[in-house]
Amino acid sequence: MYDLAVIGGGPGGYTAAIRGAQHGLKVLLVEKDTLGGTCLTRGCIPTKSFISDSKLLNAAKNSSVLEGTDSLKIDPAKMVARKRQVVETLVNGLQSIIKSHAIDVVLGIGHLAAPGQLQVQQADASINAYAAQNIILANGSKPAVPPFIEVDGQFVQTTDEALDTEDIPQKIAIIGGGVIGIEMATIYLNMGVDVTILELLPDILATEDRDIRLVMRRLLKRRGAQLFTQAKVKEIVRNGDRIDLIFEDQTGAAQSLQSDRVLVATGRAPVLDGINSRQLGLEMEGPFVRVNEKMKTNLPGVYAIGDLVGGMMLAHKASAEAEAVVKNIMGAKKEVIPEQIPRCIWGIAEIGAVGLTEEQARATQRNIKTGTFHFMSSGAAHAMGHIDGFVKIIGDSENGEILGVHILGEHATDLIGDAVTTMTMESAVEDLAEAIKPHPTLSETLMEAAMDWNRRAIHKPKIR
Amino acid sequence: MVTEVVIPMLGVTVEKGKIVEWLKNEGDSVVRGESIFIVEADKVTTEVESPATGILAKILIPVEEEVPVLTVVGLITEPGEQIPDDYPIKPVSVPAAEAAARPAPAAAETNSPAAPAASGPIPIMPAARRLAREKGLSIETLTPTGPGGVILLRDVEAAAAAPAVKISSLAQRLAAKKGVSLGGIEGSGVRGRIMRKDVESAWVEAKRPGLGKVIPMATMRQVIARRMTESAFSAPHIYFFTEIGLDPLLNFRHEILPEFEEEFGLRLSINDLLIKAVALNILDFPILNAKVTGQEIHIPAEINICLAVALDDGLIVPAIANADRVGLVDIVRQRTDLVKRAYAGKLTIEELERGTFTISSLAQYDITHFTAILNPPQSGILTLGKTRDELYLNDEGAVKTRKIATFGLSVDHRIIDGAVAADFLQNLKHKLERPIFTFLSL
Repeated sequence: MYDLAVIGGGPGGYTAAIRGAQHGLKVLLVEKDTLGGTCLTRGCIPTKSFISDSKLLNAAKNSSVLEGTDSLKIDPAKMVARKRQVVETLVNGLQSIIKSHAIDVVLGIGHLAAPGQLQVQQADASINAYAAQNIILANGSKPAVPPFIEVDGQFVQTTDEALDTEDIPQKIAIIGGGVIGIEMATIYLNMGVDVTILELLPDILATEDRDIRLVMRRLLKRRGAQLFTQAKVKEIVRNGDRIDLIFEDQTGAAQSLQSDRVLVATGRAPVLDGINSRQLGLEMEGPFVRVNEKMKTNLPGVYAIGDLVGGMMLAHKASAEAEAVVKNIMGAKKEVIPEQIPRCIWGIAEIGAVGLTEEQARATQRNIKTGTFHFMSSGAAHAMGHIDGFVKIIGDSENGEILGVHILGEHATDLIGDAVTTMTMESAVEDLAEAIKPHPTLSETLMEAAMDWNRRAIHKPKIR
Repeated sequence: MVTEVVIPMLGVTVEKGKIVEWLKNEGDSVVRGESIFIVEADKVTTEVESPATGILAKILIPVEEEVPVLTVVGLITEPGEQIPDDYPIKPVSVPAAEAAARPAPAAAETNSPAAPAASGPIPIMPAARRLAREKGLSIETLTPTGPGGVILLRDVEAAAAAPAVKISSLAQRLAAKKGVSLGGIEGSGVRGRIMRKDVESAWVEAKRPGLGKVIPMATMRQVIARRMTESAFSAPHIYFFTEIGLDPLLNFRHEILPEFEEEFGLRLSINDLLIKAVALNILDFPILNAKVTGQEIHIPAEINICLAVALDDGLIVPAIANADRVGLVDIVRQRTDLVKRAYAGKLTIEELERGTFTISSLAQYDITHFTAILNPPQSGILTLGKTRDELYLNDEGAVKTRKIATFGLSVDHRIIDGAVAADFLQNLKHKLERPIFTFLSL
């Protein structure tokens, strides 16, 4: 009998297992593939490895001081090899951490048989049953592909295949202008690929602040990406080594696009293998498992976290939910506040955001003020040669509550951490302005934006 | 010989007392039987007499400090006698929570030579006291680390160094906006930091102040609780109700009121008439004046009628003495005086304990009738609801209105039979409905 069984060894599942073990619980961790989940093996880490490599190439090629850059090339096989090395290192590290906590790991597909009971089907088809006081479902997600698209893994790919492919197409069509589409587009653009993005919605990165979207669109276009919004993909036809993609543009006119490859980045769907919701009486919410604010499902002792429950499909959201669940199991009270979960996008420029967009903040009917600061006015940004970017802070004008922070530009994904800490501590916009930031760094931009919120930025001309 | 002055037993139910005034100063000579201090307990104030003749050599307990009864509060010596340095003062156990809640004596008092005592001020080193004063820290909030619980300089330093209250900026602003006091709020954040939701829930609680609380019972409430339980579970109660027509009584009062007021300067109330009528009725049914003592029924010679007086924090029932024998004027005078002193907390123990029968009226409420629990050791209590209009057929068969009220009687069934109680109530009805005859001798 285990105190805690976790199905899924991704950032949600392994965090729950480790935290549970730290609290002295006897923990079982079930993983069908490799510990680390999508994040480590097919998501965050691989893409960041590619983005880093490709960004290096792009920066070198566009350098005004390096010589001989015209002949610079990137070896995609080496890129993939380095990524595999990175993933292997991290997975090994994770395995040894899990081992050090004496967590039992079983490889196989976990089935929730009933509250308190699970079965694991191993690779050799044998099935073992386990009992546990508490069960956390952390099955994760997989790429969601529209039914009319057939992924062949070579010409038509999802990120699962794209992140393991050792050749670079000349021209790629990316279906989906969300986070995944934009990050993948960044990798291809950096490597000089001709990129077309087709987004069904009126804009790319639909959940982000308007100013962020505007600048990102501009940057993508500047880098030569073609962007079609409100574009409905109708058909994908293989034509020898080429792919013909038929879509309806925003005017409703049919268009045809020819490319070497199509990447389907139309979002992700929860993995429900081993969860027979109807048989279990498990309540669902659309495709996702329904949970309350304590991540509890309607079944006793059964929790669900991460991509399986929807919301922001982010590794750190899953980890935060995992910690909350273990706290709740241990008798404390903990909830994950969505407004305090940061969103990070590694695009042409990085995006780091947390809390409400300006539109959402205005919709709350509260009195709000915004403060902005552009990288253009930052000494550090100029010295680094990254002057595209800005920080925007939205705060309640009465109590100074930080409602949202939106950063676009170099290191935005790191910079947002500062805002998240400040918000979590319930500090006010003025607190962000009070903290002394090191010079010359991009962290000063957040401080200046906070100062600008009260129209007191130093490196900004007086408003007349 | 040293004579100890103690707070006397102030009644069987009284546990603690507070000296409100010392009538003698240290060094004054006192005579046995002479009042030397005034003590207050259960809203009752009593002067305490000196147990010996001599010199009030030491006052151990200052005014306004609540201590258990029998606590030694002062020492009387013979003239010229010195109190030995090691004179042992009997410690009186004080529950820890009360000891902690005891207010610290003001600096001026602690500097006076009168102070040191077992249950006296909090021990603190002079340097520590000085620093505490400088830093504006109150002594009772400090955690002593010195031997025997003495507060040392380092304890004050530690308290001064600790941040006052850890609170997030947004929580602070919310508290300021909503006017929520931060004292007593438990922080749910990291290391007890007060977060916004803590202030929010404190604010919600503040709007529903009566709920979600544990309130230690005040002495008065404890007394009421004990007496009510004792009464309810030792005396089997039976209840009787009757409707009494009040027009004659109201008219009677109305008729005599102006002259009564002019003559005596007192305002006669229906209650006064009721007290008198009940007392006269008891003359016909003496058993209603009785109390059970062991295997005997004691029927006191005096009829003292209690009138319930509601205070903010409870209810007390001072008694009008000899209500059968004294005139209405005296009843009004006694009643006015007792009620006034009840609100001021200046009743004597005797006034509270001499009652032999109680009247409890809810006439000012929209309550028709109610039952009451006997006020022990009494055996009868009369209740009275609101006066209301009623339609009735008069002797000529015409529909008329009259004012009536429902009177209830609770009695101790151990010693009073149902028929006796019924007779008593019926007789009272008769008396109240024929006031002129009843009150012939004012």
